[in-house]
Amino acid sequence: MPYLGSEDEVKELKKALCNPHIQADRLRYRNVIQRVIRHMTQGSDMSGVFMEMVKASATIDIVQKKLVYLYMCTYAPLKPDLALLAINTLCKDCSDPNPMVRGLALRSMCSLRLPGVQEYIQQPVLNGLHDKASYVRRVAVLGCAKMHTLHGDSEVDGALVNELYSLLRDQDPIVVVNCLRSLEEILKQEGGVVINKPIAHHLLNRMSKLDQWGQAEVLNFLLRYQPRSEEELFDILNLLDSFLKSSSPGVVMGATKLFLILAKNFPHVQTDVLMQVKGTLLAACSSESRELCFAALCHVRQVLHSLPGHFSSHYKKFFCSYSEPHYIKLQKVEVLCELVNDENVQQVLEELRGYCTDVSADFAQAAIFAIGSIARTYTDQCVQILTELLGLRQEHITTVVVQTFRDLVWLCPQCTEAVCQALPGCEESIQDSEGKQALIWLLGVHGKRIPNAPYVLEDFVENVKSETFPAVKMELLTALLRLFLSRPAECQDMLGRLLYYCIEEEKDMAVRDRGLFYYRLLLAGIDEVKRILRSPQSDPSLRLLEDQAERPVNSWASDFNTLVPVYGKARWATISKCQRVERHGPELPNTASFATSGPLIPEENKERVQELPDSRALMLVPNHQLTAECFEKTWLSLKVAHQQVFPWQGAVHPDTLQMALQVVNIQTIAMNRAGAQPWKAYLSAQDDTGCLFLTELLLEPENLQMQISVKQNKARTETLNSFISVLETVIGTIGDIKS
Amino acid sequence: MSASAVFILDVKGKPLISRNYKGDVAMSEIEHFMPLLMQREEEGALAPLMSHGRVHFLWIKYSNLYLVATTLKNANASLVYSFLYKTVEVFSEYFKELEEESIRDNFVIVYELLDELMDFGFPQTTDSKILQEYITQQGNKLETGKSRVPPTVTNAVSWRSEGIKYKKNEVFIDVIESVNLLVNANGSVLLSEIVGTIKLKVFLSGMPELRLGLNDRVLFELTGLSGSKNKSVELEDVKFHQCVRLSRFDNDRTISFIPPDGDFELMSYRLSTQVKPLIWIESVIEKFSHSRVEIMVKAKGQFKKQSVANSVEISVPVPSDADSPRFKTSVGSAKYMPEKNVVIWSIKSFPGGKEYLMRAHFGLPSVEKEEVEGRPPIGVKFEIPYFTVSGIQVRYMKIIEKSGYQALPWVRYITQSGDYQLRTS
Repeated sequence: MPYLGSEDEVKELKKALCNPHIQADRLRYRNVIQRVIRHMTQGSDMSGVFMEMVKASATIDIVQKKLVYLYMCTYAPLKPDLALLAINTLCKDCSDPNPMVRGLALRSMCSLRLPGVQEYIQQPVLNGLHDKASYVRRVAVLGCAKMHTLHGDSEVDGALVNELYSLLRDQDPIVVVNCLRSLEEILKQEGGVVINKPIAHHLLNRMSKLDQWGQAEVLNFLLRYQPRSEEELFDILNLLDSFLKSSSPGVVMGATKLFLILAKNFPHVQTDVLMQVKGTLLAACSSESRELCFAALCHVRQVLHSLPGHFSSHYKKFFCSYSEPHYIKLQKVEVLCELVNDENVQQVLEELRGYCTDVSADFAQAAIFAIGSIARTYTDQCVQILTELLGLRQEHITTVVVQTFRDLVWLCPQCTEAVCQALPGCEESIQDSEGKQALIWLLGVHGKRIPNAPYVLEDFVENVKSETFPAVKMELLTALLRLFLSRPAECQDMLGRLLYYCIEEEKDMAVRDRGLFYYRLLLAGIDEVKRILRSPQSDPSLRLLEDQAERPVNSWASDFNTLVPVYGKARWATISKCQRVERHGPELPNTASFATSGPLIPEENKERVQELPDSRALMLVPNHQLTAECFEKTWLSLKVAHQQVFPWQGAVHPDTLQMALQVVNIQTIAMNRAGAQPWKAYLSAQDDTGCLFLTELLLEPENLQMQISVKQNKARTETLNSFISVLETVIGTIGDIKS
Repeated sequence: MSASAVFILDVKGKPLISRNYKGDVAMSEIEHFMPLLMQREEEGALAPLMSHGRVHFLWIKYSNLYLVATTLKNANASLVYSFLYKTVEVFSEYFKELEEESIRDNFVIVYELLDELMDFGFPQTTDSKILQEYITQQGNKLETGKSRVPPTVTNAVSWRSEGIKYKKNEVFIDVIESVNLLVNANGSVLLSEIVGTIKLKVFLSGMPELRLGLNDRVLFELTGLSGSKNKSVELEDVKFHQCVRLSRFDNDRTISFIPPDGDFELMSYRLSTQVKPLIWIESVIEKFSHSRVEIMVKAKGQFKKQSVANSVEISVPVPSDADSPRFKTSVGSAKYMPEKNVVIWSIKSFPGGKEYLMRAHFGLPSVEKEEVEGRPPIGVKFEIPYFTVSGIQVRYMKIIEKSGYQALPWVRYITQSGDYQLRTS
């Protein structure tokens, strides 16, 4: 009844629910309840009839029960007192003869998310673990995890954990997998469920009985298991071989990851595995589900980083089809440019050329950039195609082609001649900032070979007043000055005009300063200008535009089959950074102290950590060795010089941490095993002045923080701060890798 | 994988129904979904994975619905998408067409299903056969007294219940091959592949043990059958239903299994051997600006004369501003579908070796519209019964059950079009 306000509606439903006649007629009763749920689904507040709904739960109609329980789970947090009343009915249902009812009641009870409900659910959950129906056991096992989450930060119930470990041997496959999931949640603070040899082997043997979700889950947990011997390792790989051919893409990806990680010391095995899953990945790339196809393409790109030729013979699989969504087409174009080789280059370029005239400007531009990156290897063919594209005189095409040319001339100087011939006429169809900058740059640097270069630049100078992009003006200044050096007669006059404009009339300070700078430079004499502007043009140290080198499989294996490749590594880095700030920012009162403890170094950048000691006063001695006894003696004799907490999440991987610390010349004296709690580590380092830094790391299981205490044998605040910021960077990096 | 919550949204992004599994993500987070989607779309950076703050949205679009899973974890993307598609599959089996209307009409069943499909963010029972035992179609019918306990609740083989009984024991085997084809505008074949599936419809009592024999080349070589008499097929990328014992297949290529009840896909395979395109299209599309478009399409059946392609549908793109269509076909009928900007030429039966022609004429307005149009390809749909491109054959199907009943296997072969496209210039 849409004409009734929500309040009237609640009143009316309340009346209906209380009406004994309706209660007597099951069908009508259920209909009223359905109406309540419908309103709830539509987002109206139905918490007003909570009491009546609780009463309605006492029924033998299982559908009605489900609806009422659903209602209760939704509104329980709003009506905690009333919800406790429902517990009675729920408890009673937990011992119903029908396993469906028992399961339902138990599941609902655990999902109530009420403070104080734990004491009521504990017993039913424990009973449920031993229920004879697997349906109830499945629910009860996950109920343990829910119970733990409800407790919040409470201590782990050892008996319950043992119970769950023993239920890993349950005969129902879903119970087994749920046990793993539940233990993982409960033991989150201690590094999750422990997979030792008996458990690992037990799980391996049960694999074929599990459904695809279970298989994928178990494969993920097995990542944690480290086989004791090479023999065992290969036995496991053999056992899992068939899962590389599973019909579920999730399982195939999971199995691939496990193989890559387990075989991290056997590159040929890794290559072999990637060969084996090639077919499956390819099939997933033409999957009917676009999203699965997208995820597969992202992973194909990942694989191509390490094995560039891997998919080359199947390049046609990556040709775009008309109706595919944008995100798939863009991925496919990226893949295509990575698998180009001598045999397929002709066909791939032919195909890409077709995309360049696509109706979607974004896609067309992506295709042109792709041709540009192929041009680094197959220059002549690509430059020819790009030149032909200029003939179309389409704004969005020309601008991207010119940008591609700019990058290309830098990387492949041999194509300069061809590019210079193609340029005249482009200026007419370029409107955007990026394109103009690229064109002006080209005219400036290679203007010698382009007859009409000064006249094109002159047009820009004429219109500089109406130019909206400061970056274009900056580029124009530089280019014109460069061209002036090679063709002074044609440029002198307009250079003067441009400088005059920039200095006298320009409002953008950067442009004005650049103009002044060049003006003063010119005052210093033409030889000086030449010396400065004509330094080597193609500096090999400027490798920003060049392809990144092949990456070893191990560098991305741990990211395989997560969201990282699907987002793209760069995007993932920004996302996880934002998330960290959000997670820790408001909670930590001492965030401000981070800023004062030294300039923050991008935490993702591990290489930078290495340079760090040189970049400041602190120099840690590389081969500093301190015995444990000596450390203990010194530690006890000193006072704590500095104490601080760093954000941290999840468990510690001592090996990784130790390695990272070693990189920055910090020695690890002693360290707890992973999973110990509280987890502690003692570190030592010495700088070139002989000052010792002794450090204790302490990780309390319930905090998301790593507490550090540093002691120093000479009191020097400056080096202490530097040391702490080094430590912070390392810990930040490690924490980052793991999150 | 773990999902914090699952949402079903209408096309405008309004939640139709949702289920909060974990309670670690506020349900209001979904309000960010649609604005984010629009923003990404505008930037040309739309992807089925987006993030807002700590929350990751993994979503799929199905008819006029968005299915969105939210998670805080660095989850396994393929698995989440698979789960969402599985959800679609299950819903579709319950109410045929999955769309906004059917969700609204069946919200009780949707809630029930969401409850069983996932618990605490982890997929539970997703097999629709088994779900149908928990949740009956007739949700509205009142179950009186004690309801029957579904046997799978206490079962060891997760995909088949005990105690199934049929009067007549039968298995229907469908061998279906789909042909994917992509042809360039200049007539060169860019891509041609065959994706085969073997689907079973099982009406068998008890716990039967099945064994399927194919003319698999590897098997023939293993057993020395590879004479000139037996034609064999080399299968690639063979994938099986969970019920097939993979270890046995790896050892001696035997396909043995205890089947689920009813319909399921037993296996799939792929063949990338180049075959002649079954239906070849030549087209001339001449566009005279401001006046008319003339289309000539020639279709040729390049398969055996004895075979017949049924329900052939050739869709030819026309400009969106075309009007006053006129057609002439040598066989079948042509129809203009202005909402899709195509002409559909349908031919009920198309024997192999034959060649047919269609001509179409459209008027164009004298004022040209501004936006540029893409060049959609010509698409072809067809079905050729009693024929497989690969030549795969079912040699035998053995059915053994401890009660010893006789069961009949029925085999049917069909080849159909998959993604069959010919680009136009």
